[in-house]
Amino acid sequence: MGRLLRAELRKVSSTKLWWGLLVPAVVLSIIINVFGGLFTAAIPDDGGRLPLLLGSLAYTLGLTAVFAACYGVVATAGEFRHRTVTTTYLLGPRRWQVQLAAMGVSAVVGAGYGAVVALVGVLAGVAGQAGSAFPSVGALVAVTAIGMVVSALWAALGAALGVVVGNQVGGLVGVLVYLLLGELLISALLNSAASVTLQRLTSYLPGNAGDIAIYDIPARVLAGPQIGSRLVETLAGVTAPPPWWGALLVLAVWTAAVGATGWVVGSRRDVT
Amino acid sequence: MNDRSGRVTVQGLSKRFGAVVAVDGVTFSVEPGVVTGFLGPNGSGKTTTLRMIVGLITPTTGDARVNGVPFAELSDPARVVGAVLEAQGFHPARTARRHLLACAAAIGVPDAAVDHVLGTVGLTADADRGVGGYSLGMRQRLALAVALLGDPQVLILDEPGNGLDPEGIAWLRAFLRAFAAQGRSVLVSSHLLGEVEQTVDHLVVISKGRCMFQGPLAQLRGSRRARVLVRCAAPARLADALARTGVLEIDTLPDGRLGVAGTDPVHVGDVALAAGVAIYGLAEEKIDLEQLFFQLTAGPWRAG
Ligand SMILES: Nc1ncnc2c1ncn2[C@@H]1O[C@H](COP(=O)(O)OP(=O)(O)OP(=O)(O)O)[C@@H](O)[C@H]1O
Ligand SMILES: [Mg+2]
Repeated sequence: MGRLLRAELRKVSSTKLWWGLLVPAVVLSIIINVFGGLFTAAIPDDGGRLPLLLGSLAYTLGLTAVFAACYGVVATAGEFRHRTVTTTYLLGPRRWQVQLAAMGVSAVVGAGYGAVVALVGVLAGVAGQAGSAFPSVGALVAVTAIGMVVSALWAALGAALGVVVGNQVGGLVGVLVYLLLGELLISALLNSAASVTLQRLTSYLPGNAGDIAIYDIPARVLAGPQIGSRLVETLAGVTAPPPWWGALLVLAVWTAAVGATGWVVGSRRDVT
Repeated sequence: MNDRSGRVTVQGLSKRFGAVVAVDGVTFSVEPGVVTGFLGPNGSGKTTTLRMIVGLITPTTGDARVNGVPFAELSDPARVVGAVLEAQGFHPARTARRHLLACAAAIGVPDAAVDHVLGTVGLTADADRGVGGYSLGMRQRLALAVALLGDPQVLILDEPGNGLDPEGIAWLRAFLRAFAAQGRSVLVSSHLLGEVEQTVDHLVVISKGRCMFQGPLAQLRGSRRARVLVRCAAPARLADALARTGVLEIDTLPDGRLGVAGTDPVHVGDVALAAGVAIYGLAEEKIDLEQLFFQLTAGPWRAG
């Protein structure tokens, strides 16, 4: 397992994929956090006393998770595209170990995305949001850490999905359409249902779960503990969200589920 | 578990892709110390069989073992089997050296092994170029370098001559012979007998997924005796005369000539003169292995 992790790390570091996806995420982070006020317009700010940076940072980290997911998909599905998977499986015929190594290394890359994006975001926010208060270090660290975990989980989930699909374009289109459109539609459908149980399901969709985890703490800080939860509902488009750790758990379960599917599908696939 | 013999055994191996039966009950073994040629025309199931041996394709029935165990159960698979397979790819932006370094990490060999195999296949000067710019032959060499990285006991090569220049092919032949001479096993596929004739000791011939011949190359040669082809005025009389001298393997060819086995042109000429039969043409038939191979495999291009 250690060997496969090392091999996976060497593969990652020998192509430009990781920074090819990091660059746009960083650029987005700069734009969003410099003009943070626009993205946090929903929050009434009386006289620049609110640490709005926390809100724009959370929004940025939510988007970063999409890049992390794309990274994971390309990391594993790309092996099928370039037919390197033959060599990979020749050297590591226990395919579930190969998949686990790829998920692990992708998670590290995803966490790295979260860290870099948060760091750049804070710097951009300091430059651009001089009018508003600076968030507490504790809250900043908490949002960053949760954002890193969410990106790590999405990258691992993406890597597992890449194994399931075995097709780079299909995997990428699938994950983007789902995250940027599909889950919005499903959430809207569920939210409009009469049954409260159905409405509550919105919090258990993977994309929403990641957003809830990221928005939970900033929402409480910005809107207070009472209406914080309502703010999360508005921002993530969900009903009755769990706390951040519950949402992380939900996303982790999704990651494990896709991982298990990849295990089954991947080990049965004929590599011709 | 792993018996360390370097033997590959294939037992009743079959693979069906939907309606296509790619491999149909193939049984053979690859022994250490010799080069085994795996021959068959296009689409006969060579690649499918080789991929089943290394666990990339799951057989429909039957099994394949290396050192007595399925490939995927070997604790150090890449140190036992090195394989160069068809359609084995590389990331175009990754350099050969970095590709090999990732492989070395997966196998668990020191990085110094990378320089060694690069030298062996003659890619040292091009090692730091992206593989996307490699020629077909250079990719083939790189694939071989990966296969050699674990210093394996068994080499499995699927049409390794593809893309190699004549110098590269000559080098590969010598390399495979030397590899086998060290007591290791080589299984090399080809669709041309001529390509491997000088390299292999043992042959496995398949056609349409079935095994048509398995044995030493010498046995295949011996299975068909050299004949003398005679065009003469009275074939029946000549055949009689030859039979009286103990030459009994005589066929009449479709064009009216006699095919006489187990003798030479001098004897046939002498007998014909003694019997008073006029000879119009006398020729020695070459044992054409390629022709034999065609007959064994009856490839898809054969009319009728
Ligand atoms: N993934 C697949 N799906 C469907 N059919 C397949 C697949 N792979 C191989 N086949 C079929 O199985 C048969 C054997 O193919 P295979 O590639 O093993 O032949 P081969 O002997 O290697 O041929 P060649 O000399 O052209 O490389 C062919 O009829 C081929 O079309
Ligand atoms: Mg083939």
